[in-house]
Amino acid sequence: MTTSASPRHAVTASPNLRLQVLLWAAHRISAVVLAICVFVHLAVIIYAVRGGLTAAEILGRTSGSIAWAVFYGLFVAAAAIHAPLGMRTVLSEHFNWRGRSLGIVTVLIGIGLAFFGWRAVYAVVGAGPA
Amino acid sequence: MPRLESQTVLDVVTHIQRRLDPTLSYRFACRVGMCGSCAMTVNGKARWTCRTHVSVVAGDGKLEIAPLHNLPVVKDLVTDMAPFFDKWAKAKGQFTGPDTRKDEFAPVKPESRQRKLVDEAIECIGCGVCYASCDVVTWRPDYLGPAALNRAWTLVNDVRDIEQRDRLAAVAGDAGCHACHTQMSCTQRCPKFLDPAKSIAGLKRLTMSAALKGEL
Repeated sequence: MTTSASPRHAVTASPNLRLQVLLWAAHRISAVVLAICVFVHLAVIIYAVRGGLTAAEILGRTSGSIAWAVFYGLFVAAAAIHAPLGMRTVLSEHFNWRGRSLGIVTVLIGIGLAFFGWRAVYAVVGAGPA
Repeated sequence: MPRLESQTVLDVVTHIQRRLDPTLSYRFACRVGMCGSCAMTVNGKARWTCRTHVSVVAGDGKLEIAPLHNLPVVKDLVTDMAPFFDKWAKAKGQFTGPDTRKDEFAPVKPESRQRKLVDEAIECIGCGVCYASCDVVTWRPDYLGPAALNRAWTLVNDVRDIEQRDRLAAVAGDAGCHACHTQMSCTQRCPKFLDPAKSIAGLKRLTMSAALKGEL
């Protein structure tokens, strides 16, 4: 494809437009990560819960586990990216909300999700083996 | 309303205007599915009325005809198509070639990849059915909509066009192809069986690639 800009209507790169497209891509890519993480999460629950399960048993397996820390850390990161971007679209479409304030709310939702999510991850993997 | 064999919805509207209510306003031209001017909402769905048989859409004998959604109504069944075509212009739906009329023809090989990509999309007749069927247009009135983006897709794949970068910038972003939720009402309702959602998906790929390269 030819991408040469004409001298008559030369367009300079627009950071805002580029950001919109990259956020769209982040929304899609995080969805793919979420799909995998949710599948693994549910499959492990179904596998692990056979014959009953206690909090102590779960913590026994997760505490100090770098693998689970990485997995759930990634899970939270994907959720913290995906959910606010989806909310941004919903808020924009249903309340005709645009601009900087919407961007700030989006970022705050993301920070909130990441904070509470990673705190929960720390709670189950942070302490060493029981 | 007399029921006739092979009666179309446009026949019904014409009968009403000629025999029952001469004040009824509606729009049509070719009556054979080429011009794209007779689209209306028929029993809740946007359709081209000249090629829509009453027997197909009014199984229970009831027919409710309304103007197209997502466009301002001028009168009765006539909508103002200006916002629709303004968006074609906004999506940079104009071809800009490098040549003048004094130059030789620029050949585009029918079997070339880019030409084949738009085999369907170039058949659009601009009836507005997809635009009226798109929920995203309803929710986000500044969204360019399926028809304008489909037009842009045909030009993005036109190897002669020299303003591709401007066009990608025109169709990218929150009011452009990235607003599409891929609900595919456009593809479902297109009377020509075209696939605007596929064209929009193509634009999403190209604009993302341009954004990653910093060309947007």
